[in-house]
Amino acid sequence: MAYLANSIYRRAGRIQTQASRTSERMQTTLILGGMMLFSGLLSFFFFAGQSLRLDEAQSLWQTSRSVLDIFTVVSQDVHVPLYHLVLHLWRTLLGDSVITARLLSLAFYMASIPALYALGKLAYNRNVGLFSAMLLSLSPFMNWYGNEIRMYTLLTLIVILNQYFFLKIWKARAPGAWWGYGITIIFGVYTHYFFFLNLAAQAAFYLFRSDVFPRKSFSKLLGMALVATIAIAPWIGFVLYQGQLQNQEPVLMTPTSINIFNAFSQFIIGFQTDNLNTIFLSLWPITVLLGFIALRRNQRLGPESVFFLTTILMSMALAFIVSVTITPLFVSRYLIFTVPSLYLLMTSFLVGYAGNLGRWLRYGLIGIMAITLVIEIFNPVNPVKENYAQAAQFINANVSPQDVVVLSSPFTVYPVDYYYRGAAPLETLPVWDRYAYGAIPAFDAGSLEAQVNQVTADHQQVWLLLSYDQGYEKDIKEYFDTHYQRVLDKTFSDNLTLYVYKLRYDTPLSQVEKKLTLE
Amino acid sequence: MTYYDDPQVGDMRKDFLEGDSPKGLFLLNAAMAIAYFLALVFLFEVGNRVLFTLLIAGEVFHLWQVLTFLYTVWDTSYKAPTNTSLRSGVDIFITVCGEPVELVEETVRAARLLNYPTYTINILNDGYVAGKDNWRDIEALADRLGVRCITRTVGGGAKAGNINNALRLTENPLVAIFDADHVPHSDFLSKTVPYFGDLNVGFVQTPQFYKNYAENYLTRSSWEQQELFFGPICKGKNRLNAATMCGTNMVIRRSALVEVGGMCTESIAEDFVTGLLMHSKGYTSVYVPEVLAEGLATEDLLTYSKQQFRWARGALDVIFRYNPLFMRGLTMAQRIQYLASASFYISGLVVVFDMILPLIFFFTGMVPVEISSMFLALVFLPYMFLTLFSIQRASNYTFTFPSLGFSMGGFNIHIKALFSAITRERSAFQVTEKQKARGNFLPLVRWHIAYLVVAAIGITYAVIRQGFDASVINNTAWVLINAAVFYPFIQAALPEREASTPVVHKPITKHKHAYGLSR
Repeated sequence: MAYLANSIYRRAGRIQTQASRTSERMQTTLILGGMMLFSGLLSFFFFAGQSLRLDEAQSLWQTSRSVLDIFTVVSQDVHVPLYHLVLHLWRTLLGDSVITARLLSLAFYMASIPALYALGKLAYNRNVGLFSAMLLSLSPFMNWYGNEIRMYTLLTLIVILNQYFFLKIWKARAPGAWWGYGITIIFGVYTHYFFFLNLAAQAAFYLFRSDVFPRKSFSKLLGMALVATIAIAPWIGFVLYQGQLQNQEPVLMTPTSINIFNAFSQFIIGFQTDNLNTIFLSLWPITVLLGFIALRRNQRLGPESVFFLTTILMSMALAFIVSVTITPLFVSRYLIFTVPSLYLLMTSFLVGYAGNLGRWLRYGLIGIMAITLVIEIFNPVNPVKENYAQAAQFINANVSPQDVVVLSSPFTVYPVDYYYRGAAPLETLPVWDRYAYGAIPAFDAGSLEAQVNQVTADHQQVWLLLSYDQGYEKDIKEYFDTHYQRVLDKTFSDNLTLYVYKLRYDTPLSQVEKKLTLE
Repeated sequence: MTYYDDPQVGDMRKDFLEGDSPKGLFLLNAAMAIAYFLALVFLFEVGNRVLFTLLIAGEVFHLWQVLTFLYTVWDTSYKAPTNTSLRSGVDIFITVCGEPVELVEETVRAARLLNYPTYTINILNDGYVAGKDNWRDIEALADRLGVRCITRTVGGGAKAGNINNALRLTENPLVAIFDADHVPHSDFLSKTVPYFGDLNVGFVQTPQFYKNYAENYLTRSSWEQQELFFGPICKGKNRLNAATMCGTNMVIRRSALVEVGGMCTESIAEDFVTGLLMHSKGYTSVYVPEVLAEGLATEDLLTYSKQQFRWARGALDVIFRYNPLFMRGLTMAQRIQYLASASFYISGLVVVFDMILPLIFFFTGMVPVEISSMFLALVFLPYMFLTLFSIQRASNYTFTFPSLGFSMGGFNIHIKALFSAITRERSAFQVTEKQKARGNFLPLVRWHIAYLVVAAIGITYAVIRQGFDASVINNTAWVLINAAVFYPFIQAALPEREASTPVVHKPITKHKHAYGLSR
């Protein structure tokens, strides 16, 4: 009898444990689903409908070609082709609109949310996983790139998965994790060159903490390095075969200390005006205070935190050093793969703070990210908004066949072309035929007059749309200001301004001038 | 959850002695400290010259502190004596000056149970000369327990005079000294005496552990403050033959003590100076990294402040009266160590200067350096976090925010001691109260509160003058750090503290004592 009672009791206990586990799993699924839905709704209502930006236009332009051509153009760009191939397939299957293309990035972004939860749960615990996932879904930075037709959310997802398998190797000692690790490496090296920084950080972590790895890990990790090398070798060969990289993208500036802190600032508060960003960065001493408060008895930096810290700091440092010493490539979006590590690390610290303090700091962080997300969405002078759509629509409505539309920098032809339906021809300064092989010609002040004469010949008005200053925007504007009569200027977004000039005195009043005269 | 149930508490008697010395981290920390200092001196545009000079002076002090700390904890390994059979005769001195009889009784009873063949227990009763009511009770206690009581009838020299008096009346070659509240473990002598097999050893010091650390916020914080000193710092000093004599829980070679003229009666930190004099005579010292006796921390802020003042004044006397830089017979390492220990109490002045810098900016707009980028943060943050991490590694993660707060929050005590030492104001030795004083301790933190009030006015004034610009926000952040750092000290002064926080009493039996007593 006693045995029976005991057996029933134990079974009831097991059922209860199973029930509570099922309920917790259900709860987690619902919470993660809610986060994904939140990001999806943000995209639907606010982000997906924004104007196409320069980089996105390039992605669309590049992936409109055949697969072989995609390889060619991407090899001449600074990227690797996986995302472009997937986007090509995606557009072929689902359609050609901007929103459809953006959906692909959104899908990767939404998949990153449960992936980060899994990584956080593996590294720390369920609560850290959930809170980090919440930060990811709220993140103004991630939401921005979750709706950009570029490879950054794919990179984020692959790095999260790669880190998951990497941790699985030494935390769970799961032999199967090597397979996942190897596969994510192959995908990763074809997603972005910066994936190698992630691998470098993992190698550094292994050197620091080889004691936490299972035996024979060294040879297996060497094997994985070989896999990465063999995987990328054909592509490198192809790039070398294609010849030098072409200059078809904005010139990057050599970074300073501000860029490093701006990257951290963007990872937390997204893209904000200089004013707001300066206020946020001026609060940097608060990090010292957070460090002081984190001094708690036996509050140790576990190997997981060391790993995430290494990923962030080493990637930043390598990108910065290479940018300063070899060629500028320090761009916050390239470092997007460190964002999950940053969120996990911040969460693990905030969870470690004593009692109410930790709770209030977590609320504070969520509050800051939510508020800055709203500002990022609604601020019309957001520095990363590129309103080529409105600019092109304005030109469409007002330009006449006798006019000419001149764009500078030349590569801005990609987004303008996407929206432009006007009767006047599109030209660029410096003059560039984007269908011809080779880089964009460099600006030459000596030949500016000849080039202006070439593009404006026989036209009545020039619609000069300036954006993405490559160092010569001022020269071009000054030339037009001093040689022609400016009749209009209009700014559509930060650093995207349209100037309209009369090329000859006998030009009849344009619609714009008529409107201005009436006003 | 009580303090004892917190898994983070660990083993209070051992944790602080089990830190390590990661050389790579320490070298990196030193390099960053120097880099930060050089950057501050040479790379920034000087603002107000007076402020700049003071800032650099403060930074020289910080650099000295960091480098001497790293030098001290560079190697904290410990060598046990090779011959453990030495059993020389020991006179045990239990210094008493008005402490409650029960408290003295516990110490005497523990001393009687020492696992050692040849020792005599002497109660050094100064109650009579100090005008304490219970001096007869102490004599009665000695009679009851069958130990010797030496009651002075002629005063002078405070605790040092009391010990010197007993030295004349006893004859064993070794002398063990305990404050009335410091209860020795039964293996105290068997673990300390063997070091005297080396005839050069002048004294052997053991940690001062506060068994009432969990009594209240103050006892816990002051113990946490002590852990850094009695952990890695004392262990490092041991390596450099520069152990600090702390006045209790120690064994001294009688002949060495006599050679330096007994305990120094000219300083209120008689122990510290006596240790210095013994080192100057060529005697070596040993620090045993094991808790072998347990005492009581001060339980109220008033007593704590008096104790801190006494320590600070005594240590500063070493600089102003016994300057170790010029004292004959000391090694360079000993000079550095004594100077490093004594100069710690100058930090009050530096804390004050650092905290008024933002105030000067708020009211006058003057700054020591003109900073237009995030470069300062780039060099300061790694330096600061590496320093915190070095401290945590060296102290086995026992350094806490309250201990930092108490070290910095005691700036007013340190400054008072500094001026008192400079003017050679006469300060009487006061025995630290072993019973909690009652009353309102807010006057002890009036400077801290005044600072917060002035800072609030300053922030308002600066915002009115120049709005929420980067400088105002950055300086406000520094004020916030100061406010947070002062919080533990202010919290300890709050009168309602006792009522609002339940005191957790821990039965001392949780840790088994070698002498088998329980309270």
